[in-house]
Amino acid sequence: MNFVGLRGWFFIFSALVILPGIVFLIIAPGLRQGIDFTGGSTLTLEFSDPVNQTDLRAEFANLGHSDATVQQLEDNVFFIRTKELDEVARVAVLAGTERNLSPNGVQQLSFDLVSPVVAGETILNAIYAILAAAVGIFLYVWWAFRNVPSPFRYGAAAIIALLHDAMIVIGIFSILGVLIEMEVGTMFLVAILTVIGYSVNDTIVVFDRIRENVLTFPNRELSEVVNLSISETIGRSLNTSVTLLITLMALMLFGGSTIREFLLVLLIGVVVGTYSSIAIASQALISWEYGDFKRVILRRPVEASVSS
Amino acid sequence: MRRFGRTVIIIVVLVALTAAILSFQEIKLGNFERGGDTPLGLSLGLDLQGGSHLVYRALLVDPQTNEKVTVTEDQMEALKRTIERRVNASGLGEPIIQRLGDDRLLIQLPGVSDPGRAKSLIGETARLEFKRRTINVPVELEQLNQDDIVGVTADFFPDLLTSAEESTATTTPEVSEPNPLVLMIDFTPQGAAEFQIVLDRLVDTFLVASASIEQGNSPSVPSRLDITIEGETQLRFEASPLTILQLTTSTTYAFAYPADRETGNVPTPPEAQAQIGLNPRVFFTEIQGQADEDIGLTGDDLARAFPGQNQTSGIPIVNIEFNDRGTRIFGETTSDIVLKQQTTGVADQIAIFLDEDELIAPVVQTAITAGTAIISGQDFTVERVRDLALLLESGRLPIPIELIQERDVDAILGEDSLAKSVVAGFIGLGLVLVFMTLYYRLPGLIASVALVLYSGMVLAIFKIMPVTLTLSGVAAAILSIGMAVDANILIFERMKDELRAGRTLLSAINIGFDRAWPAIRDGNVSTLITCGILFWFSDQLGATIVQGFSVTLAIGVLVSMFSAITVSRTLLRVLGTTGLTRRVSWWLPSGASDIPQQAATPVAQRS
Repeated sequence: MNFVGLRGWFFIFSALVILPGIVFLIIAPGLRQGIDFTGGSTLTLEFSDPVNQTDLRAEFANLGHSDATVQQLEDNVFFIRTKELDEVARVAVLAGTERNLSPNGVQQLSFDLVSPVVAGETILNAIYAILAAAVGIFLYVWWAFRNVPSPFRYGAAAIIALLHDAMIVIGIFSILGVLIEMEVGTMFLVAILTVIGYSVNDTIVVFDRIRENVLTFPNRELSEVVNLSISETIGRSLNTSVTLLITLMALMLFGGSTIREFLLVLLIGVVVGTYSSIAIASQALISWEYGDFKRVILRRPVEASVSS
Repeated sequence: MRRFGRTVIIIVVLVALTAAILSFQEIKLGNFERGGDTPLGLSLGLDLQGGSHLVYRALLVDPQTNEKVTVTEDQMEALKRTIERRVNASGLGEPIIQRLGDDRLLIQLPGVSDPGRAKSLIGETARLEFKRRTINVPVELEQLNQDDIVGVTADFFPDLLTSAEESTATTTPEVSEPNPLVLMIDFTPQGAAEFQIVLDRLVDTFLVASASIEQGNSPSVPSRLDITIEGETQLRFEASPLTILQLTTSTTYAFAYPADRETGNVPTPPEAQAQIGLNPRVFFTEIQGQADEDIGLTGDDLARAFPGQNQTSGIPIVNIEFNDRGTRIFGETTSDIVLKQQTTGVADQIAIFLDEDELIAPVVQTAITAGTAIISGQDFTVERVRDLALLLESGRLPIPIELIQERDVDAILGEDSLAKSVVAGFIGLGLVLVFMTLYYRLPGLIASVALVLYSGMVLAIFKIMPVTLTLSGVAAAILSIGMAVDANILIFERMKDELRAGRTLLSAINIGFDRAWPAIRDGNVSTLITCGILFWFSDQLGATIVQGFSVTLAIGVLVSMFSAITVSRTLLRVLGTTGLTRRVSWWLPSGASDIPQQAATPVAQRS
């Protein structure tokens, strides 16, 4: 199969996936930030009596929390997000809902409070963390591929793929934020970093084969070598993704609801990460070698093609 | 086979070790203690067992300029100790208190889902007080007088207890040693009640004193009872809870009869009875071991407290400096104490309290009017001195703290999450095993064995380190199962390629491993880099969630590399020397029928 020849289509396809995400990210509201980033409180309450979402929302407004968002998790179990609740306010909320909605009792399953101080730092630190991870990986790949011509490009291509994956996941979550009010928190960041790790891992497997084939067949065209390497590794790439998807699906379906957002990021990340190793990272090497972008801009005819 | 002998032994030992670690609920080897009553004895995070996670920030503001001041290392340490003392004393389970970054404290309270009480304890501002402690203050007990006493007798301690409680025992009571001589005072019911109140008070001070010795603090002096009996002769002695006994269900109390002051002999009952006479007068005086008097000296009057060293002996000491007001009060008090000592011989102390807990009560040796004092002790160590100085400092300059993050999880929710994670883990692992075996056949089966072993080893490592398992950690662990499979898949795909290139089975196994290794190594190193960065940032990124995830994933990745290159490889090689090699199709992934059968014909003896 001629993967290299399809690279124009790959790039167009990725752009089509990334663009709407960027549009949603930049145009309001962007990513829907959870309390980890904005500060505030969340409560998970279980009521002994039947309680519906509308009544609970009204009760919160009644208690002075008209800003509260109420989400139903299970029967009579609700997840509520409000501005920062101090101890007095929290006790008042519990007492108020018990008195007016559920005289048989209210159980506070979880309570979270994040002050704006922490929230502000978290975003900044997250950006640093992602940059640090990218730099670390770039340097390692550069070093690991020091025996092939232009090792710098391998590092750069891995980073391009990594950013591509992160952009797609962030974009999808921006859209989900609008569609189903999906919020992102610290776990989202962790998940993004994990996706980055996975994406690079997968890219390296393909690059490793390119490294080997470049050294084995020094006289062949790079495009030919890359195509051969992709064909040789695609079986493994797909199988690894399948096993990861199996474990992730198991977690999604049978694990608790607490980390569902996290798993969704990984699920998307695994698919995108596998795709990007073949369609972005490897193709970026080729485009670099043959000056694709210069040519596209200068409207020159295609020179490099592969028939295999 | 002999060539892999050592690896096989290592694997067997590891399997046995893993099984042993996981099958014993608790492991104790000297100081090394792991495990508990959790599933497999793993240590569980607050989100899996329920509990409260609180992050506080120290906010220090200069009282003059109202500007924010940077909190020093020592101040944070002092704050941590102060909070530790309070939380520990409150009996709120086993709190874990650790510093986070420059100005934060993380307090974890396992099993506490509604930490209202803990929060109010933690939020209190520290209060440091200096009090004057007078030793052995006699207080006449006016409420106990002659009307409360029915009679006074002296006799050997009656065998009441022996007959009542030891009748079931088979041993014959020792006859040779007579019971001790006691003085028995029979009270009126009202008198007995009054006396019991006094006695309870003595017992309390006695318990406090023994507790302070146990904790290694300067021992406090317990209260005693001074009893004067004016009969035929005057008999005066001191009694403590150790020498006072109430006769069973009666209004009579027995006191150990005092020995003669000069001869040291205890008289015989008739002699004693003669001393007491028929109708003696009895006077009780409670000698309070110590009485603390407020002198109006508090943390506000302290200028500085810091550890130091005695110039000549080198023994660690604590230096304290007072401000003007403190210098005046401290000077007056110490001068007065020294004066009293010279006239009465009683050396009073200065007792120092933090949050009403006694820190130390040094004896005053000279009048200190210059405002600088030294606290020294023969048993002072560098740690003790540093600790003391820190605590004094924390009381001098109470650091206001602010709750910036809280996460409370109810135990029910924790249990639920744990149960669901376990189910998800088993299902995920099971599906992967099925997939691997169906697709890769015999090598897939071997990879499955390696995976099960891998899962066990990861859990065993979690238990031994110990790694606290959080919900995100469980996700990382399950994710790392997927990554462990990847190493195997890489190897099998390589093996297939080598078989396709016409190699024999055994050399395909060997070369497959060698060729797959760089990809496994580089891929995993990049994951480890990500883990390292996550760990590095975890202090800032909401701490424990991220830390747990990165540690768990890193362990998973490392063990998966080990399991792929030793366990899978050895098992494959071992099977590669058996008759199974004749069934070439068993060794090939489904859909790889294009490989020529004869090319793959084994030549087992060759390697």
